[in-house]
Amino acid sequence: MTKEKSNKKIDRREFLNNTFRFSLVVGIGGLGAVLAKNTLGTEMVWQLDAAKCVQCGRCATDCVLTPSAVKLIHVYDMCGYCDLCGGYFRPEAKDRSTAAENQLCPTSAIERKFIEEPFFEYHINADLCIGCAKCMKGCGSFGNGSMQIQVNHDLCVNCNECSIARVCPSDAYTRVPANDPYLFKGTSGQSMKI
Amino acid sequence: MKPKNILILSVILLLIVVGFMAGDFFFSKGPNQENPYEYDLTKQKEIDSSLICYQEISSIKPETDYLYGIATDENDNLYVAAIEKLFIYNSTGHLINTIQLKDNAYCLTVAPSGNIYLGMADHVEVWNKEGNQLQSWPGISDSSIITSIAVNETSVFVADAGNKVVFHFNLNGELQNKIGEKDTENGKLGFILPSAYFDLLIGRDNELWAVNPGIHQLESYRSNGEMITSWQRTSMQLDGFSGCCNPSHIAMLSDGSFVTSEKGIERVKIHLPTGDFKCVVASPDQFIAGTTDLDLAVDTKDRIYVSDPKKGLVRIFEKMNK
Repeated sequence: MTKEKSNKKIDRREFLNNTFRFSLVVGIGGLGAVLAKNTLGTEMVWQLDAAKCVQCGRCATDCVLTPSAVKLIHVYDMCGYCDLCGGYFRPEAKDRSTAAENQLCPTSAIERKFIEEPFFEYHINADLCIGCAKCMKGCGSFGNGSMQIQVNHDLCVNCNECSIARVCPSDAYTRVPANDPYLFKGTSGQSMKI
Repeated sequence: MKPKNILILSVILLLIVVGFMAGDFFFSKGPNQENPYEYDLTKQKEIDSSLICYQEISSIKPETDYLYGIATDENDNLYVAAIEKLFIYNSTGHLINTIQLKDNAYCLTVAPSGNIYLGMADHVEVWNKEGNQLQSWPGISDSSIITSIAVNETSVFVADAGNKVVFHFNLNGELQNKIGEKDTENGKLGFILPSAYFDLLIGRDNELWAVNPGIHQLESYRSNGEMITSWQRTSMQLDGFSGCCNPSHIAMLSDGSFVTSEKGIERVKIHLPTGDFKCVVASPDQFIAGTTDLDLAVDTKDRIYVSDPKKGLVRIFEKMNK
């Protein structure tokens, strides 16, 4: 009886061999699973839902990058090409000139260009944009809401825990598939829908 | 120092560090942090009380989740277009009829004959006050978005924001002509309509008034499409209109002054027939921020009716005795 018991005991060498084999199997299996997931699965990235945005300014101040990876994107399909654009001019602007004191954008990232009477086009200089969404609020209040901030994935480092998402008061940040990474408010022609 | 004390001190220091880290993680830069990039309209929404010339006297709350439009008739009955329903109230605010519709009417008006003209998404329906459908006109076009109807003794004018034009029909629904078409060769801009705000009314001389909201202009036309006159007030201040689509709605008082409502800055004002600002009917602080679709109607006593979809009310304003 005592002999049988002692025969079942595993010696140190065998234990180490078993452990090594088990680790090897788990390691190779895990690596395979990760590779399969990366190959077959969809990569997820951070994006903010423009419809939920409340223009709190945190996208400009809380991104780990400076300036923020959040940038304004102009949805031209929705734009009214307004002369008195709520996203371009400060509410207290004295006239409709491109003078800095009339501009709403704190970094003058929006360029205004005359197209034809009475239409003006607004182009976003992404290098200057800090993602403060001030223009988005102005455009949404007075216009069609064609100016919308989004996470620019050429810049975003895709943190595990997005520092903006952590403080976003409207929970506008969500994970979206990298192959469909934008969450615009409205679509083509939306502004004309009743 | 004894090892025990060193241990206690270390634990205390560790707890302090953990406390700071937790505080930084959970409490610093909280959601209520002041926004250095605040879009502030406080100044624009402030109204000098001496400029307010109307006061709210009562309101009506229709049984619906959204109000699309309102109109009055010559007996001061109030008509409210809501979700698949048309409510009719008498001049004292009592509900006298509810008409069930097959779809939403987004705008409406009452003809001198008493018939009710409803602007559905792409076509016009004619009903009487008793709830009988008299006519249903064919759809204008696939791109039509009917935003307003104005009717006089002989004509029905339909504002179509999708086609950016006013269609002139006779009372039988036969198209007579189009009004306000873009004609760049002759310097006519046409109606600038970045969104579906395009209101009409019939003036005191049976002329058509149409808002050209993209350029903050009111334009009057003869029924043959010839423009009579216009006035424009583009301004971020109280004396004019700003943004893409203002004034969003209009109505006319008995002296020919215009009642206007806006999106962006929620307010109702009166402009003189010349277009000059006269006074304020309802200031922004009387509305929930972000309220739009403030449709307007005026009764024979020059009381002003304002539909307030966010509060679900038709609000009634009367001239203040100053």
